[in-house]
Amino acid sequence: MPATQLSDTRRGVERSESARPSSRPFPFFRAGARAEATAGSRPLLVLEDVHKVFRPDRPVLRGANLVVERGEFVFITGPSGSGKSTLLQLIYRRQTPDDGRILFCGRDVARLTETSIPFLRRNLGIVFQDFKVVPHWTVFENVAIALEILAMPRRLVRARVAEALERVGLAGRGGERTGVLSGGEQQRVAVARAIVTEPALILADEPTGNLDPALAVDVLTLFEEIHATGTTVLFATHDHSLIASRDHRVVCLEEGRLVEARRGLRGWHERLRVVGGAA
Amino acid sequence: MKLRAIVARARRGLRGDLRLYLVAVACLTVAFVCLGAALWGLENLAALHDRFAGPRRLTVLLRESPDTTPARELRAALAELVEVRSVRPRTAAELRDAFLADSALGEGLEALPADLFPASLEVTLVPGIDRERIRALAERIGRFPVVEGVETYEGWLGGFDRIVLGGRIVVGGLALLVLLSVLAVVGGTIRLTVAGRRAEIEVMKLCGATDGFVRGPFLVEGAVQGVVAAALATALLAGLYVLGRDALDATVGALTGGRTAFLAPWMLVAMWAGAALAGAVGSAVSLRRYLTV
Ligand SMILES: Nc1ncnc2c1ncn2[C@@H]1O[C@H](COP(=O)(O)OP(=O)(O)OP(=O)(O)O)[C@@H](O)[C@H]1O
Ligand SMILES: [Mg+2]
Repeated sequence: MPATQLSDTRRGVERSESARPSSRPFPFFRAGARAEATAGSRPLLVLEDVHKVFRPDRPVLRGANLVVERGEFVFITGPSGSGKSTLLQLIYRRQTPDDGRILFCGRDVARLTETSIPFLRRNLGIVFQDFKVVPHWTVFENVAIALEILAMPRRLVRARVAEALERVGLAGRGGERTGVLSGGEQQRVAVARAIVTEPALILADEPTGNLDPALAVDVLTLFEEIHATGTTVLFATHDHSLIASRDHRVVCLEEGRLVEARRGLRGWHERLRVVGGAA
Repeated sequence: MKLRAIVARARRGLRGDLRLYLVAVACLTVAFVCLGAALWGLENLAALHDRFAGPRRLTVLLRESPDTTPARELRAALAELVEVRSVRPRTAAELRDAFLADSALGEGLEALPADLFPASLEVTLVPGIDRERIRALAERIGRFPVVEGVETYEGWLGGFDRIVLGGRIVVGGLALLVLLSVLAVVGGTIRLTVAGRRAEIEVMKLCGATDGFVRGPFLVEGAVQGVVAAALATALLAGLYVLGRDALDATVGALTGGRTAFLAPWMLVAMWAGAALAGAVGSAVSLRRYLTV
């Protein structure tokens, strides 16, 4: 297996059923790129002094810093218009930062060439508030497209899609037209599409924004189940009740900067360990 | 495997926008029928032209019968020339008989005097000699005392040449126009379908699809539109030709002394290939600005 494959960079993350080197046949960013040997021990995502300005009088990001370790679940919150979506767009390179670095698996996303962007996105699973599913495609087709892009054989695609649909609670419904499903179900389809490639990082931009509170909790739980298998999740939301119902790490966007609002369980564990070690 | 996936996705696209595609194909078919008909007309005109102009001929009109010594010497001299393939003497009586046999009028003309047609030499030239050399040759032959005149058929063939050339230009322009209309129609159709499939393109790009991956099916869809239209037009023209062929050969054929032919295979291949290419290009062009996600 070439060192360029992402599964390399995910070493050290225990996953129950993810040891599938053959399921990741695409190079990380670009054919021939070499992943550093230390990539596995470094943070998955690092934002260093990131600036983004659309209108000079109202800069969106003014020196945002963030470190996300492998296997973390991070809520990103902040008032409407504070730049949550922009932040995520910078990570999947829909936008480019004006200044600063965004390191994903140790590579600067901002400096990727146009032709490398698809290879970055193949390592991300993105979920949106408005689902972004294709209504006239079947549920199966909507999920399978992510694997077809990787030129995966049909037989494998069928197996993997069935598995992903089962994980989001849509087992056996692959043949239905996506447009006629309920909002919650459509978002499950989108989540299935995001996880079917087993990405290193899931970016969720207010995935519960269009759902009623009960469904929102359901979808959040779905993300937590995915997180439990070792996937890192960045979950942008301004729904405080949702954030309050869990004890994950919370990062808040304030005046263009990222402020640590709650360290989350992981942080607590670490602190306990330090305290325990000192005692 | 990869091609199969592209074709599968193109099929899905074609199925989704079937009505739109049918309208586009209908428009394109009309355009191709026009082009095909023009090509067909030109082809037959050119064939006619070649039949008359094929091996160029000169008719050397003699003052005396071809059997006299000066005429014999002229014949021998002509046969020596590199430009000349063969020389055939024709007596006045022969010519008159030939005319009577060809003529449908027949009787009544038998009274024509034998010396109405001057004796002559039919000179057939080797192919590929240009007009300038023929003119020079005719001038040289004309200097023999036994020669009354030399007919090069230039004025008549020149007119025909101009007609064929004009036809070629008109058909060339028409082909260009049809090609442009294919580009425009396919481009417009694809633009409409792309607008309807924006969500699809965005999803693919966000899942890490390369531009080539997104473009593939659209190119196939554009090419299919072009080819289907060209094929329909061919079928339509062929049908019309088969139906009207006998009538055509009975009238036009009788006048020109030959049978008409359908479009040459290479023309059909060129038309189909051009249609496919124009369809794909039209599709690629209108897709360009939707790929930035
Ligand atoms: N492509 C763009 N062009 C110009 N301005 C933009 C663009 N994208 C975002 N903005 C501006 O950047 C600011 C931050 O927008 P963003 O969508 O990131 O906020 P948000 O935190 O996601 O808000 P919400 O909670 O409402 O989704 C807004 O003022 C918005 O108008
Ligand atoms: Mg937003």
